[in-house]
Order: sequence, then C-alpha cells, then structure tokens
Amino acid sequence: MKELAWVVLAIASLALLPLVASDYVIGAAITALTFTVAAACLNIVFGYAGLLSFAQLAFWGIGGYCTALIVVDAGGSFWLGLLAAAALCALLSLIVGWAALRLQRDSFVIVTLSFSLLAFMVARDWVDLTRGPMGLPGLPAPQLFGLSFGSIHAMYWLALGFVVLALGLLYTLATSRIGITLRAIKQNQPLALAHGIAPSPYLLLAFAVSAALTGMAGGVQVFYLKIVDPTMFDMYYAQAWLIMVIIGGAGSFWGVVAAGIVMSVLPEMLRFSNELRMVIYGVILVVVVLILPQGVAGWWRERGITRLRQSLSGDGP
Amino acid sequence: MNAGPAAAGDLLQVAGLRKAYQGVTAVAGVSINVPEHSIVGIIGPNGSGKSTIIDCITGFQAADAGQVLLDGQELTGLAPWKIARAGLTRTFQTVRVYDQLTLMDNLLVAMQSFDSTHWLDALLRTRRLRREEGKARARALELIALTDLGRYTDMPVGILSYGQKKLVALASSLMSRPRLVVLDEPVAGVNPTRVREIEEAIRVLRDAGETFLVVEHNMEFIMNLCDHVVVVDQGLKLVEGLPAEVHADPRVLEAYLGVRA
Repeated sequence: MKELAWVVLAIASLALLPLVASDYVIGAAITALTFTVAAACLNIVFGYAGLLSFAQLAFWGIGGYCTALIVVDAGGSFWLGLLAAAALCALLSLIVGWAALRLQRDSFVIVTLSFSLLAFMVARDWVDLTRGPMGLPGLPAPQLFGLSFGSIHAMYWLALGFVVLALGLLYTLATSRIGITLRAIKQNQPLALAHGIAPSPYLLLAFAVSAALTGMAGGVQVFYLKIVDPTMFDMYYAQAWLIMVIIGGAGSFWGVVAAGIVMSVLPEMLRFSNELRMVIYGVILVVVVLILPQGVAGWWRERGITRLRQSLSGDGP
Repeated sequence: MNAGPAAAGDLLQVAGLRKAYQGVTAVAGVSINVPEHSIVGIIGPNGSGKSTIIDCITGFQAADAGQVLLDGQELTGLAPWKIARAGLTRTFQTVRVYDQLTLMDNLLVAMQSFDSTHWLDALLRTRRLRREEGKARARALELIALTDLGRYTDMPVGILSYGQKKLVALASSLMSRPRLVVLDEPVAGVNPTRVREIEEAIRVLRDAGETFLVVEHNMEFIMNLCDHVVVVDQGLKLVEGLPAEVHADPRVLEAYLGVRA
C-alpha cells in the first residue's frame, strides 16, 4: 500500500510538471521517460534474467523506424505504428534470442551487439526503405479522437501515459512468479533445471517483452523528436541504459526506475558548466561504481542482510 | 520396504551405464536398482565414478550407453528438466540454492513447473494461480517444519549456514513430491550435529514413503541410513548388499585403502 501511495504521488507530480516547467525542461523530461522504460526493459533482461543484451539498442531504433514508416509510408496512425513496432521487435527478439541462447551466455553479448550494428547498417544503407542517412524528418503529430498531440505538453503527457503502462506491465512481470523464476534461473541455472524448469521459454519471454516495450519507447521518442535517422542506433543510448541499470542495481525494479530518472536529469543539471559537465558526470559515475559496485539497490540489500545476520546471531544457537 | 538385491519391478532401474571423457572411462557399465520406499547408497573412493553415475541418471551428463527407467518409463537421454518433471529430482554436491530468494520462494519455485497454471495465470494472478500456490505453500510449510527452518521462512537463504542450505536443497528437491530423489553428498562439509539432523530428516521422509538414492563419502552416515549399499570402484560396481555385509567385505577395504586385506 505504501508502495502504491508513492507511485500515485510520483505520477501526479510528473503529470503536473508541464504547468511549471519550460519547453526545454519538458523535452528533456520526455527523453528521461522513454530512457527509463528502456532501462527498465534492460533490467528485466540483464538484472532479472541475467542476459547482457546489447540488442535493446536495435529494438529502440527499429521501433522508431517502424512507427515512423507505418505513419509516413503506409498511411497508418501513430498508434498502429506503435503496435506494429512492438510486434516486429518481439518477433525479431525471438529469432535473435532463439539463436543466441543456443550459445554460451558470453556469446549472447556478442550476438546481440552484432544485431544492433547490423540494424544500424540497414537503417543507413537500405535507402529505398529508410531514406538512408537523411532519415525521415517532419513526422506528423499523433492524433487521438480528433485531439492532436502537436504541442510539447501534449507529447509529454502521451509519453507519461505510455511510461505508466509500460512500467506497470514490467512491474507485474517482475513481481509475478515469472519474475521470481527468472531470478532463480539467473542465480542457479542447474538447480532450476533440477526443479523441472526449462529456462529457454522464460528467457525468451523476458527478451521479447523487453524488446516490444523498448521498440514502443523508440516510437514515442521519434515522434517527440519529429525525426528518425540512423543516429537512433548510437551506442550512447545502450551505454546510458546500462549505466542506469548498474547504478540503480541490476535486478531491483525501483532502483533502476529511480536511476533512469536521476541519470537522465543529472547531465541537464550539470549544464551550469558546459565545458565540465560530461567530466563531472563521469566523475560521479566512477565514484558511485567504486563505492557501490552492486548499485544503490544492491547496497541497500546488502545492508539489510547484514542487519538480519546481526539480529540472528544475537538470539540464534 | 523390500531393500534387497536388484529385482524386476524396482522403482528406478539403471542398466549398463557407460560414460567416457575423451577416451578415459569414468563409468564402465554399472547397473543399479532402487526399490520403492527405500534408501540406496552409493559409495566409493574419489574418482570412482559416483558423481558421473548420478549425473547420467539425472540427465546432467549424456551417457554413452545404458538405460535409465523410472517406474518403467524411459528417462535415458532426456533433458534434466524433463527428468525432474517425470518425477526424479536431485540435489548437488556443492550446495545449490537461490541465495537471493527467500526460503519460501526457494521452495515455491521448485514446485511451479508441476502445477496446472500458465504464464497468463501468473501475470493476472488468477484464482487458479492462487489455488495452486496455496497448495504449494502448504507443502512448503510441511517441509520447513520438517527441516526446522521456520524462523527463516521469509528471509533470503543467503544468510543461512552451509548445513542449513543443505537442508533447504533437500526440502526443495522434495517440493514436487517426486518419485525418487538423488542426493549428491548431502552431508559433505556439514558439522556433525547437522549431519544427524539431515540423517534424521531423510529417515523420516523414507518412512513417509519417499525413495532416495544417496551418494556420500561419510561411511558412518551411509551405514546408518541405507537399506542397501552399492560400492563402485574404477567405474565398476565392486560389491553390493546390506550395509553390514558391505562393511565386512575385504574388497571394499582394499578399494579404499589400496592394501590387500
């Protein structure tokens, strides 16, 4: 109940943000929201299921392109585009995941990374489909029942609505017994096998859900930017999400969500010193990782365990 | 309890098991039978092939030849999770638990492949899921009571001692009410008090109708507990029989000490 109260409070204050903030801040906030979904998706795959996936970047970009092309070339709506992006990314993730899971866990990293690089090359070189390096500029505003999401305020609320739904789904997954089973497989796969659990379907489910939602986040992002081009596949994004997961604490749902917001806002807050801002950001990163190698949530968990041990050794045999 | 020499109709029938690693023979044709409601022990010196035998039975290694039947059902060559679902579970030599999950979740996870729920039940938390989870929870509480770990029910098992984790592993292997449980060195590295606790828990379970195949180095433990003992040496079955018979057999002493008795 306490958790629910916090969530309602957070959503309410986020919903009121456009009333007090400048357009610049709202724009940055939209990116923070879509990044948080992407980081939460990576957390399901990496933090829960234990698969270090660099394919999230591909799904982000493919989702962006798919949504844009459905609208621009196929004449569909933005909403249809989002659904198509989710379906396409889920399908691709099943194909890539099925192949990659046949290999060792280390190879999963390489296979997914290669997939992202391949997706980038397709976006850049398949000019007939993607318009090449120029991309698709001037994306129209999404419409719903005659309402246009043309203003940045409206786009922000759209993004917020998407984020609430996406995080709600991920939270349901993470706290269900599917989430617990994913953690079990990550912590001890041979034991899970001995308990009659077939790992692959669970890992593929986690991968597909996170691919679909990352793709939709990419779709929302490009309609805020009003352009999609091959820079959607910039490694910077993958790195930013991984940092969020590591700092928040892989495997902690709220830790990563909080880190998603904080690590998106932090670079903006450091703009008081334009020359030094990325340097300061880097220093903060290094310090946090040195002090909290398990992330903030991991540190919190360790602290709880230490206290539990102390209380047990006090009254135990 | 008909613990005795191999007989047709035994619950577990392992015949002619062979396994070589790059030409080095680890198991050279071993047959083991386990009657229902009994405890059969496998002992043998280091490197005698004990671990390979149970890895082949439980599907963690593929045998080169041989057959494994559980109540007449062919298990040979199946994936480990299929063997577990067929009713044959196991524990591991180096204790394996889910350290970051609570004791209750450790046990519930072990049960969940065995109920009638689907992913949608899990996501929507349907009545069917709650019903099945209620059953699993009741089973878990039984096993928690048996292993006397009640106060740790909602704590991550990472805080438990090595011996306590061995008990958790034992309990989780029993969650799905398997037909037979293979215990790989259940008391290795456990302090003597805990050894007696584990021994007692296994005996209680046997009397309640469970069936065990136990690999162990601790001779006293095996001799106290087992209804029937198989001694393996250099990948072959050396002797088998009642604990007292095996204990008195000069060939066993020779295999262990390397002297002619």
